[in-house]
Amino acid sequence: MEEFINVGKRIPKMDAEEKVTGKAIYIHDLKIPGMLHGKILYSPHPHAKIKSIDTSKAEKLPGVKAVLTGYNIPPIKFGFYKDNTPLKANKVCSLRDEVAAVAATDLDIAEEALDLIKVEYEILPGVFDPEEAMKEGAPLIHEEHVGGKEKKPTNVLNLPWRLIAGDVEEARKNSAFVAEDRFKVTWVTHCCMGTSGCVAQFDLKNNLTVYSITQIPSLEQRDFTEALAAMGLKGKKARVIKTMIGGGFGSKLDTYAFEYIAILLAFKTRKPVKIVFSREEEFFATSPRQPAIIDIAQGCTKEGILTFRDIRMILDNGAYTSWGATTPSVMMMPISSLYKVPNVRYIAKCVYTNNTYSQAMRGYGNPQATFAIDSQMDILAEMAGIDPLDFRLRNANTPGEVTPQNFKIVSCGLRECIDAVAQKLDWRQSRGKRDGRGVGMASLIHVGGGARVYKSDGCGTIIKIDDFGTVNVFTGATDMGQGSDTVIAQIVAEELGVRVEDVVVTHTDTDICPWDVGAHASRTTFVAGNSARGAAKKVKEQLLEIAAKSISESPENLDIRDRTIYSKKDPEKKSPLGKVLRAAHYAAGGSMVMGEYFYDPNNENLDREFKGNLSVTYAYGTHGVEVEVDKETGQVKILRYVAAHDVGKAINPMLLEGQVYGGATQGIGYALTERLILQNGKVMNPNFLDYKMLTAKDVPNFETIVVETNDEFGPFGAKGIGEPGLVPTAPAIANAIYDAVGVRIKDLPITPEKVLGALKEKAK
Amino acid sequence: MKKFDYLKPKSIEEALTLLDQYGEKAKLIAGGTDVIVMVKQKTMAPEVLISLQAIPGLNEINYNGFLSIGPMVTHRMIEKSELIKKDYSALADAVSWLGSIQIRNVATIGGNICTAAPSADTATPLLVLGTQVKIKSLKEERVVPIEEFFKGPGETVLKKGELIKELMIPKPLPNTGSAYYKLQRRLALDLPILGVSALLSLDKNKVTCADMLCTTSPISSILHKMEEDDLVCKEVRIALGVAAPTPMRAVKAETLLRGKKLSDELLEEVAETAAKEAQPRDSIRGEAWYRRDMIKVLVKRMAMKSIERVIQPEETVFPERLW
Ligand SMILES: Cc1cc2nc3c(=O)[nH]c(=O)nc-3n(C[C@H](O)[C@H](O)[C@H](O)COP(=O)(O)OP(=O)(O)OC[C@H]3O[C@@H](n4cnc5c(N)ncnc54)[C@H](O)[C@@H]3O)c2cc1C
Repeated sequence: MEEFINVGKRIPKMDAEEKVTGKAIYIHDLKIPGMLHGKILYSPHPHAKIKSIDTSKAEKLPGVKAVLTGYNIPPIKFGFYKDNTPLKANKVCSLRDEVAAVAATDLDIAEEALDLIKVEYEILPGVFDPEEAMKEGAPLIHEEHVGGKEKKPTNVLNLPWRLIAGDVEEARKNSAFVAEDRFKVTWVTHCCMGTSGCVAQFDLKNNLTVYSITQIPSLEQRDFTEALAAMGLKGKKARVIKTMIGGGFGSKLDTYAFEYIAILLAFKTRKPVKIVFSREEEFFATSPRQPAIIDIAQGCTKEGILTFRDIRMILDNGAYTSWGATTPSVMMMPISSLYKVPNVRYIAKCVYTNNTYSQAMRGYGNPQATFAIDSQMDILAEMAGIDPLDFRLRNANTPGEVTPQNFKIVSCGLRECIDAVAQKLDWRQSRGKRDGRGVGMASLIHVGGGARVYKSDGCGTIIKIDDFGTVNVFTGATDMGQGSDTVIAQIVAEELGVRVEDVVVTHTDTDICPWDVGAHASRTTFVAGNSARGAAKKVKEQLLEIAAKSISESPENLDIRDRTIYSKKDPEKKSPLGKVLRAAHYAAGGSMVMGEYFYDPNNENLDREFKGNLSVTYAYGTHGVEVEVDKETGQVKILRYVAAHDVGKAINPMLLEGQVYGGATQGIGYALTERLILQNGKVMNPNFLDYKMLTAKDVPNFETIVVETNDEFGPFGAKGIGEPGLVPTAPAIANAIYDAVGVRIKDLPITPEKVLGALKEKAK
Repeated sequence: MKKFDYLKPKSIEEALTLLDQYGEKAKLIAGGTDVIVMVKQKTMAPEVLISLQAIPGLNEINYNGFLSIGPMVTHRMIEKSELIKKDYSALADAVSWLGSIQIRNVATIGGNICTAAPSADTATPLLVLGTQVKIKSLKEERVVPIEEFFKGPGETVLKKGELIKELMIPKPLPNTGSAYYKLQRRLALDLPILGVSALLSLDKNKVTCADMLCTTSPISSILHKMEEDDLVCKEVRIALGVAAPTPMRAVKAETLLRGKKLSDELLEEVAETAAKEAQPRDSIRGEAWYRRDMIKVLVKRMAMKSIERVIQPEETVFPERLW
């Protein structure tokens, strides 16, 4: 096998020192001369008509530079369904609805000004349950929204999520065992360490710069350009510059009201305007993971071979539409392709309510669907009298398979993952005792080679090398803490035969960096990695070409290793990289070494039937847990946690483990403790005291198993790992609890109350 | 955040004078982990904060026939006190689960009880340990038993111009053990769904029985063995947090146990009684039925733990979790 110098090494994140010493500049730290502070007034009612707004007192407060409402801003619409506006006029539909905004010379004044704005409301009846909202006569969230064949006013969105493969009804008839259950998952939120924020600024020509912490710089630039047009500034430019990002997890895959508000305030005041969320705002005014009601049926033969999977889902869309409403497109992936299942039907409805609206969050629907699927795998295995381990092995995916959704499986280490987990947990010995201790497992499939959700799934890279061999990489990718800069540096260094410390990665500015579709779908290592590698290859060709003359050797016989270009035939013939570069640059008619590459993976958009090879390759994994359940209190303790992942190739095993630890920790929170508690649309726990994100003390000792299948399309064989770490966590824990005490909890989080309640029910 | 003045008196007298002078406009501040949070949340808007930080002597733990804890003693200081761990274990349990180390380094015991949250972690241990609160104003000094200190959520007997000067905890009877359990959803930075403290003093002679001292069998089986030996509970106190508007003593449950021969069945009955006399309610932090159920489970477990600490004093195992 090839011997790598930079790839496969445990290299600490390039920005680690800066971050842990507090030197890194986050949006919160950013100050621009003359900068004003913006603050947003939210609706106190989940559903109400705005009768009047009086901002006169606020405007008179010394230090206040602008007050905006839904009545004095241009008609900007945003969100992919275009049902949201920066500030609401006429009507508010949720408690996070922005009603007015203030820019002032300091934050205290801005806050004081909010208190001086008088808004009169006429309260309307609200609807907070999607099943209620679907009924005839339910309050309408957007009266003008129509749907169905008759184009009648409705709360049901016109998003016909529907995947059908094979014949589910026929398969059901021919199944020896059929399980039918209802699962429920609720809102959880990203809990980014850094709260949301931005600074917007116009130059004298009305070109816009937004300092941002987005995961989608290029798409954000497009959204802001559209907003400029709506503001009457057609043809003006939008530039997005990222500061250090304090965590993303999907929360920054869309543009939000606060960003448009900052832009509008900056335009009105002609000054830079900064809006940064308080922690409370971060909890109630950002978009959590999509909740769902999941009705699922699966069947199998006597021998335990899956026959069909039939799922209906209702998604609480909330009052507006962001990417949460499109999570069914990713839920289709595990539904059609986790384990081999020949007949599949999936129908999902998104319904407007007066609740908060949802967004992408690590896994993008996959954790919700996998909770239902892989919990029920255990239920079905028990009905068929088969050990859940054997049941999974019998139905495991294999390389070369084409799934019912037309996914072409390339590398697939699922079987290895299942086996590894079973072995680590001593499965056959540990399982089935019902003595308060139990083991459980669950698996995952996720896109591992990009995901063509837009027309392009591409990423560009530009590389230049200076006279001393410093390599500057300008990538479209976004490092939001996951460490993509480091991984890209490793890939480039490997390709160019230099060291990681020779590589400087810049990803921060749309005026400098090439286009990229965004940091989503666990695609960055795969797509940006392949792109960076492509650019590095081009640069290398140039270098060898130039060196060929001075070393007098043909380029094919040259290579670079540890900053030296040498002849593979005669290693004595060599020259330091810097020397070659200087010679090229300073010679008369000299040249600089630069290269660019745009990589767009060879994957497909889903077609009208939602089929197609969404990703070039797919990632697999299995998590196994051993738990102990206190039968008197219902408390669940995790004794062991094993996470096996087929990652293709670990470019940086340390960062990879970091992704798995972080993912699984978020997953345990999802399974056991975390939930945004909404009562009549109000987030009752907008703080870390009552939102039970887990702490360092709660984290079990994760045993990570890396299965390397060396994918033929991945950069050095790598596949994505950003999201998979939390996808199978909740069902693995639910299954372990069942094994420990014989109760099956079908709604998240699995609180001690639910466990104890179920134990009591069972004892009756 | 609203702006305020910050004063740092050098003596109790100076502090009391300032308190008198500013009246309603002033608020005392100890570690500030409650006060500053409330100012930020706008539930409190003092114009002046009077810090007790610079007053000498208020942050000391002393023992002079009884345990004296100054109001400015931090939870971390209590956590590190060997004396408290040994003789006043319930209090040591409580502070070891309070907030996080960072919070415990600045937050004080005086602040904890003055905030008077139904969930205050040190409240129920102080109740079972028989604490007396010494209160001082410019005019007078008075001592109030902790049972009478809490008046309601966020309310105490403290009047305008008064501050806590000292907490006094008597020397426990011989053969006394105590324990606190915090039922929580995660292992740090959490408030209890329910807090349960117990203190039991046992009949002396029976406990010195040699075979019991070296046993490692679980306490319930020891209890079983001892039933013939008539192991009597001489004194008992049980206190519950988040089970009523204030931290409370489960007096009926105590009466049932006091002076009685210990048995598994009796402890069960005691725990049932405690659950009946509590008035837990539904909140986003926990449901009433669960709190009541858990009183049944945890009163018994904490009574057991107290007995265990008498019988196996060397194994002062702190209840990290219930298993
Ligand atoms: C992150 C975090 C986690 C926490 N976790 C817990 C927990 O697990 N359990 C728990 O019980 N609490 C917890 N708390 C609450 C808080 O830390 C405790 O109540 C703490 O003991 C308060 O002490 P302090 O010194 O900070 O009080 P301060 O905030 O300074 O004061 C609190 C109140 O006491 C008054 N006061 C202070 N000293 C005196 C005095 N000598 N005489 C009269 N009045 C006085 C003040 O005027 C004020 O009303 C937490 C708080 C935070 C911020």
